[in-house]
Amino acid sequence: MIETPLAVDVAFWFFGVASVVTAWLVFRTDSMVRASFYLLASFVNVGVVLLLMRAEYLSLILILMMAGEMAIMAVFMVMFMMNPAGLNPMNMVHQHRASVAGGVATFVALGAVGVFARFPDRPARPTGVTFALGQELLGESMLVFESAGAALLATMIAAIALASSRGRYGQADDGSDAPAFDPDRPFGDAPPRPVASKHEEQAGKEGADDMHDMRNMDHERMA
Amino acid sequence: MTATAWWGAIAGVGLAIIVGAYLVAVADRAIASVVAGEPMRSSILAGPARSVALGLVQSRTTTERPDGAAWALAPALYLGLAAAALAVVPLSETLLAADIENGLVLFGAAQALAVIPVFLNGWSPNSILPLIGAFRFIAQALSYEMPNLLALLSVSVPASSLSIHDIVASQHGLWNVVRLPLGLPLFLFAAASLAFWGPMNLPDGADLAGGTQAETSGLHLVAWRAGRAAMLVAAAAMGAAAFLGGWLGPGLPGWAWMVVKTLVLLVLLVGSRHVAARVRAERYVVISWAVLIPLALLNVMIAAVVAL
Repeated sequence: MIETPLAVDVAFWFFGVASVVTAWLVFRTDSMVRASFYLLASFVNVGVVLLLMRAEYLSLILILMMAGEMAIMAVFMVMFMMNPAGLNPMNMVHQHRASVAGGVATFVALGAVGVFARFPDRPARPTGVTFALGQELLGESMLVFESAGAALLATMIAAIALASSRGRYGQADDGSDAPAFDPDRPFGDAPPRPVASKHEEQAGKEGADDMHDMRNMDHERMA
Repeated sequence: MTATAWWGAIAGVGLAIIVGAYLVAVADRAIASVVAGEPMRSSILAGPARSVALGLVQSRTTTERPDGAAWALAPALYLGLAAAALAVVPLSETLLAADIENGLVLFGAAQALAVIPVFLNGWSPNSILPLIGAFRFIAQALSYEMPNLLALLSVSVPASSLSIHDIVASQHGLWNVVRLPLGLPLFLFAAASLAFWGPMNLPDGADLAGGTQAETSGLHLVAWRAGRAAMLVAAAAMGAAAFLGGWLGPGLPGWAWMVVKTLVLLVLLVGSRHVAARVRAERYVVISWAVLIPLALLNVMIAAVVAL
């Protein structure tokens, strides 16, 4: 057995229990945003437990990655579920039988690893753990993998830039302009409209442009 | 570490946060007077204290069915993350609150987590303008995170270490601001974005009537503003350590150099509010993804060449 100070034991149990409780709350809450952030809280608690095991780098990188990911997940869930604020109550559990079976099977498998695996009984080295971890994971191929990682990142960003630069509404920042009210023209391709002079010019016109006229008058009234 | 050292470290970080946040508020007023061409009034020094006192006696307003717990958590978490980020920045060669091997990663993790309280502060009140601000901040965060982390990463390459102590020590002779010229501007851009300050203030802008803080008042608002100021202080301190050589410098003792460099960056960050207009959200995202991320990747490549 490894001798640990009492404070470390207390912290281990505190954060361990907290990670389980917050994970349970993910399914007990009624909001997607709360569910994502409970999941994040659970991951952060696991990160602190890793920190207690002197896996400093793994712990911090887990927290760093999960912070961004859970924020993205919350936003995407809200977008796809057509629940604008994520504030409408909704049930977070479904497919009960399959979930229970999956949960029990995973718990038994991970529990078996915890009970039957032979863990080393010497404490981690106080320093150089990050370096040792890198050596263990990639060894001499580190440079190759890091270069490939940077190249992949650049490729992904270039792909996003190519995919998003000309969207349905033209340039990315054109999307915020109001679409043209002229039905003969596709959205976004309308030439820039001067606001003040347009009013007189369009006064005789009929039909779809009336809406636009009214909006211009609103602008003038406000000014 | 002994118990005394523990308490000393905690008190030191707390003091740095309080003094730094107050300095931000004072500098903000002072720069506003300079830009407006007004004479400096004595109220500049006492003004922030007066605002805090007003916030303490003000009654808190609330909204219809807010998520009270998350709302209360937001400013506390934001302040706490600023303190955690500041704790890993060394004041001098020997004076450091949290001496850990992966200080740079902890700083990055604290900055990445700071997205959560800003979103929560906008989402929890159950009110439309704060909510728009919260979603805007997510778009902003996705855009600045990459240049920020790549800029931070670049300083660790020549030092061959993730420890901030080693990163400062590696700048002996040539500071990173010269060695990696793109790093500091990218880092400062991200720092202003993270504290949504000045031209990068998309979530709390006047066009949203205060955005994520539109419904906050009283003590909550004081804590929220203090958190933003503390985040700026943490970023300025990190910028001074990672790019301006930290405690290195002739004549003065190490801690004095560190304080001077931090103050210079702090004035630069705070002043941006009074000299530059706020960027539009769409333009901000396009600039970040199409210009700043490629520059940040270039910066990492320069760092690799420097290290070789």
